[in-house]
Amino acid sequence: MADNDNVQSTVMSILTDLTGSDEVTKNPDIDLFTTGMLDSMATVQLLLELQSQLGINVPVSEFDRTQWNTPNKIIAKVESMQG
Amino acid sequence: MINLQPYANPMYFAILGVALLPLIIGLLNGKRLYWYGTLVSFIFLVLIFDGNKIHQGIALIGYGIYEVLLSWLYLRYRTNSKNKNSTPLFVLAVVLAIAPLVVVKMTPLFSPNPSLLGFLGISYLTFKVVGYIMETRDGVIKTFDAVKYIQFLFFFPTISSGPIDRYRRFVKDYDSVPSREKYLELMGKGFHNIMLGFFYKFLLGYLFGTLLLPQVAHLAMISRGGFLDISWGLVGYMYVYSCYLFFDFAGYSLFAIGVSYFMGIETPINFNKPAIAHNVKDFWNRWHMTLSFWFRDYIYMRFVFFAMKHKLFKSRITTANVGYILLFLIMGFWHGETWYYIAYGIFHACAMILTDAWIRFKKRHKGMFPSNKFTYAMAVFFTFNTVCFSFLIFSGFLDTLWFH
Amino acid sequence: MKLRKSLWRIFGPFIIAAAALLLLLYAPFSFGKVSNATLRRASVSMSSNILKGNKVKDQAVKQGYVPFIGSSELSRMDSFHPSVLAAKYKRNYRPFLLGAAGTQSLTHYFSVQAMGNQMKNKKAVVIISPQWFVKKGVRPSMFDFYYSPVQTAYFLAHAKNTAQDRYAAKRLLQLPSGTSDDVVTGALENVALGRKLTSFQSFYVKDLRGKMLKQEDAMFSEDFLKNNVPKIQLAASKLPKTYNEYKLEQLANQMGAQQTKGNPFGIKQKFYQNRVKPLVKHLKGSQTNFNYVSSPEYADFELLLNQFAKENTDVLFIIPPINQKWANYTGLSNTMIQQFDRKITYQLQSQGFNNIDDLTQDGNQKYFMEDTIHIGWRGWLQVDQRVRPFLKDLKAKPQNYKIQSRFYTKKWQTQTDLNQMSTTK
Repeated sequence: MADNDNVQSTVMSILTDLTGSDEVTKNPDIDLFTTGMLDSMATVQLLLELQSQLGINVPVSEFDRTQWNTPNKIIAKVESMQG
Repeated sequence: MINLQPYANPMYFAILGVALLPLIIGLLNGKRLYWYGTLVSFIFLVLIFDGNKIHQGIALIGYGIYEVLLSWLYLRYRTNSKNKNSTPLFVLAVVLAIAPLVVVKMTPLFSPNPSLLGFLGISYLTFKVVGYIMETRDGVIKTFDAVKYIQFLFFFPTISSGPIDRYRRFVKDYDSVPSREKYLELMGKGFHNIMLGFFYKFLLGYLFGTLLLPQVAHLAMISRGGFLDISWGLVGYMYVYSCYLFFDFAGYSLFAIGVSYFMGIETPINFNKPAIAHNVKDFWNRWHMTLSFWFRDYIYMRFVFFAMKHKLFKSRITTANVGYILLFLIMGFWHGETWYYIAYGIFHACAMILTDAWIRFKKRHKGMFPSNKFTYAMAVFFTFNTVCFSFLIFSGFLDTLWFH
Repeated sequence: MKLRKSLWRIFGPFIIAAAALLLLLYAPFSFGKVSNATLRRASVSMSSNILKGNKVKDQAVKQGYVPFIGSSELSRMDSFHPSVLAAKYKRNYRPFLLGAAGTQSLTHYFSVQAMGNQMKNKKAVVIISPQWFVKKGVRPSMFDFYYSPVQTAYFLAHAKNTAQDRYAAKRLLQLPSGTSDDVVTGALENVALGRKLTSFQSFYVKDLRGKMLKQEDAMFSEDFLKNNVPKIQLAASKLPKTYNEYKLEQLANQMGAQQTKGNPFGIKQKFYQNRVKPLVKHLKGSQTNFNYVSSPEYADFELLLNQFAKENTDVLFIIPPINQKWANYTGLSNTMIQQFDRKITYQLQSQGFNNIDDLTQDGNQKYFMEDTIHIGWRGWLQVDQRVRPFLKDLKAKPQNYKIQSRFYTKKWQTQTDLNQMSTTK
């Protein structure tokens, strides 16, 4: 299993890809939804990428926007699900 | 036998206030009086569905038994570790769950009388049931608790027209008692909501719906004859109807939310200043939010997830666009089987597709367009008018204007 | 103590406001009289809140205004309009215009019944539009526009088990207005069935809601009046100083000729340009199938007659014609209009309402109609020929009315075979 550094860099690279900006690394507490950086489509892509790159299965039901709305929160969530 | 229609007049609020008093005193003292809350809910449901609404009451009971059984059976299937997570069975469960609603919605096409299965709020209950089944499929609801499930489905403040709550969120509130400080804050917010609701529904809603709407409708009807019967009256109708729709529905939602707060349940909000949305996508994050989030989470995202996983379409853009069409067509059909509801759905699907295209275009050509307060205001203005036009379609007035 | 403070912060302002409002709505003080200037303005405003309220009307009638009950023709305020003539020649009466586009018998019934015995032994003028008597009667949305909860409360508070009250309640229940308030709906259902109101319904319509509506009427009904007084004054300024039948006739001819230039129907050119010309092609032959002979309006109209009989109100009925050229163009049947005329005249005369100014034959006279269906210039003068003598004395003599409840029946509403009824009493 990947270590924590790996999780962080993988998530960041997925997010950079999806949002098309490196704002996420500069400001890891930015709200991805209220700023419009992520939409539903990108969210689904995120879930699929997490599945294929890190092997984490997040059902859509589990995806509560208030708990997944910043890069840091996403990283924490993913780490907790891996552990 | 007296019959009460939810939030229809001040009397309803007076009766409600008195009925909720013991519950409120209990919550203030750190106790949730479950038996009393259940009793009040039951009495209010009886008062809403008795008298000349009794046939609806019977339909409600039949519907409730049917959906609870269905949810229970599906959950039993899913929680038995021997079973696979069969997709056809899941589809069957969803089809069975929406079957009563489909019958009710289709009946007007074939018969002048409404379906016997129908009752006030059936659409909203169906949303809750389908959400429950989908979360069961995902394995996030693992235990069946009939009492809580029935409390959730038949939570009387929101029974007639939402907001649409989610089972796990509801149960979290239902199982806990807020601290006194927290509850006082909820009461303050709840009361503010109810007062604002009065202002919206009974003042502004009345102004637009009862006083102005007939006037502009009349004006539009007597100025027929031009190209597509377009007239200043029609333009007036578009704005007046849009305002009416917002104030009436937002007012109602505020009542439902406010009353929920008094009962210690934080029902999610339904409207968040939709008039200042800067594009149609933003609009759907602000307008009838629990409905649009429901469609987003249970239809759009699931469809996109499925389509991408199975690579149904070559491009992401196509996937997203097909998702929009699917979502808004279903929303159109859900509103009713008339051409204007479906046209409304298609209109919004197109608006979403164009919005996405525009956002992509802007991303590709950074710096080509200025972005400042003025362009933002322009975007808000444009969105507002687009949405008002969609409500004109939605109102069905064009049907009257053109074909009657 | 902290709890009490927090609760007061949440609910205190509301409690104070609610107490103040209740005081205002149920306080036993009245809001004074309506000033003469307001009455004059209200008498020609045709505003819906005047029609829907009671206070202004009641006081106007008390002070010698005579109700002129009608619909859109009342808004044709040329120099020969009843309100203009009465003001210019300082007649002993002033018309109080009740009605506007879309008001029909049912609206007028509820309005007049709520005046109660204010109309006792008084006089009134009613202009009956043939256009009211369409197949379905008053349009529900139109009725709703002029619907008055305070008048319905009055109706319920005074309802008895009579054919009139049962029919009125039944009729109201068929319209969305009648089901807009649950308690009122319940009360109407009881009246329709000939039963008494329950004690709660009675308390609700008389005290709880009734008092509040009455206060509301008293507080607000004088506001937002349309000001037609300048229009009346301008129209009056064109008239000769002293009343002279011959001179007025000449002036009417002259004004009519001047204002109808430019169209083939002999109607006011302004009206033609705005309302007729854009659609003129569609309208040719469009009224061939119009029928004013079978309509629930006949029974609604009976309510009004019944009310007049109850209060011994002496009424002059005016039946205006339709512009003949227009009728020819749109294909409106003359035979049908004659049938309508016979039916309504029969309903009136067989019950002792003999004061009828039947103008239906005058649709081809020059400058009689201001537009397609509304009287103007010479038409108004013709009306004045009957109004002036009728209102010489404002007190009604004892009338010999004989109300027959058969005029409420479906059979009468839909009866088209006029040979079954005799035109004599």
